[in-house]
Amino acid sequence: MEPSTRSKAIMEFLKPRVGARVKSWLEICTKCGQCADTCHFYLAADRDPKMIPAAKVKYLSEIIRRKGEVDDEFIQKAYDCIYHECNMCRRCTQFCPFGINIADMIALTRALLFSQGVCPEALRSAIKNYHETGNQMGVSEEDWLDTLTWCEEEMESEIVGLKIPVDKVGAEIMYTINAREAKFYPQDIQEVAKIMHVAGASWTVPSKRGWDDTNLSMFVGDLKTSRTLVENTFARATELGAKKVAITE
Amino acid sequence: MDVLALAEGPLLWISLGVFAVGLVTRAALFLVESREKDKIFWQHFKWKWVLATMAKWLVPANRTVAKDPVFCALAYAFHFCLIVAPIWCLPHIIYWETSRLAWSFTALPDGLADWMTLAVLAIAVYLLIRRLSSPDLRYLSTASDYVLLVITALPFLTAYLSVHQSLGTGNLLGDNMQLIHILTGELMLVVVPFTKLSHAVLFFFSRAATAVEFGRREYSI
Ligand code: HEM
Ligand code: SF4
Ligand code: SF4
Repeated sequence: MEPSTRSKAIMEFLKPRVGARVKSWLEICTKCGQCADTCHFYLAADRDPKMIPAAKVKYLSEIIRRKGEVDDEFIQKAYDCIYHECNMCRRCTQFCPFGINIADMIALTRALLFSQGVCPEALRSAIKNYHETGNQMGVSEEDWLDTLTWCEEEMESEIVGLKIPVDKVGAEIMYTINAREAKFYPQDIQEVAKIMHVAGASWTVPSKRGWDDTNLSMFVGDLKTSRTLVENTFARATELGAKKVAITE
Repeated sequence: MDVLALAEGPLLWISLGVFAVGLVTRAALFLVESREKDKIFWQHFKWKWVLATMAKWLVPANRTVAKDPVFCALAYAFHFCLIVAPIWCLPHIIYWETSRLAWSFTALPDGLADWMTLAVLAIAVYLLIRRLSSPDLRYLSTASDYVLLVITALPFLTAYLSVHQSLGTGNLLGDNMQLIHILTGELMLVVVPFTKLSHAVLFFFSRAATAVEFGRREYSI
């Protein structure tokens, strides 16, 4: 049988990414079960065997074994597992006698599915927003500056002289936020501004791309976007001559 | 050439060769492929982390020992006896002394080698029961996990039966136990490089890879 277009694409994606580590991990796992009770998903599911970390990489090993020849139903099952049964916390690895990195392989499976257009809708739209505006909520530069301005104005009655310095060159700290704050929780920005003011900190907020410190593209294994986001933040910090980048809680 | 001579001669050299060359090749392939595809590992490589992880996991000084002391004690004892007994037991040393290599080194006292053989067997039975009785392990295990455990244990079982002539003489099994021992030992040697038992060398690479990644992030390694 001719390999399908999808299986070709899958194998092309995997080839450079399944290296010596992943291959060894899939092979040497001795199914000792020591990782089972280190996983919060397993414990929360009343010790359901399918939640054992070692069991969750079976999708990746199946895909490799079948040379990418998998159907939609299989992809859906893999999707449910890698998004709803593992948050890539890496705790299991700290107890595995071989140090098998389950989370790495889950991340690789997520990246593989993303390469085939499969990922959670919310993350897909966040990534679209990152590309269009540099932040996950799709806040335009105009709206961002507007938000900062009214945040500042609203606080002036509370604390005299309080400012949210935008693009201040030479400030020690460049402060970045989760873009959700700009959209839904501007009071968080205000609280931080108060702390900075009272502490007498030398700080600033960038106006251009890089002010959103979330990196949701990482969760689907879209490393290209992930990298761009980190680079944006570093570029702003360099332009402004900031010594430190602070990120929101 | 009779079967015993064949098993003791060419088959032994072939299986030792497959074992040794196989494991060295696995190690070499890991290094070559990881250089090409796991660049991140090499970019951050530090001996400090690698040695630290070995110091914790080659001996029972790690988190898993605290979590499951019984399993770990037995697993370490299993491996200790599994590696030491075959190398330093008297019959094997006599074989080397009388071989073309004329190697000679001090043997374990007979009684000790016996106990170590029994320990491997007892722990293998424990591992098998554990695998069969836990719903988790039954779910995880594939046929090869059972088969390989049996293949690992067989040379030890047959060693004991052969040395002690436990099955007596005048019957097919009893009369040929030494031959069966040699053949099962050779079987174990040849499967190691091609199965999960390749962990005999890949253990070191897998632990090292994770230690480098986790060490850099200051996680437990
Ligand atoms: C040829 C030599 C070896 C053989 C035949 C062998 C055999 C085995 C077997 C059968 C198991 C699975 C036990 C089970 O069913 O639960 C196992 C597990 C394991 N082996 Fe080995 N092994 C060998 C060498 C090594 C070496 C050199 C190391 C490390 C330095 C090692 C580390 C481990 C670890 C960490 C486990 C998992 C935990 C456990 O079940 O003990 N092994 N080995
Ligand atoms: S602890 Fe490691 S070797 Fe044991 S089952 Fe889990 S992943 Fe496999
Ligand atoms: S990395 Fe995934 S499988 Fe491992 S403990 Fe965390 S959630 Fe569980």
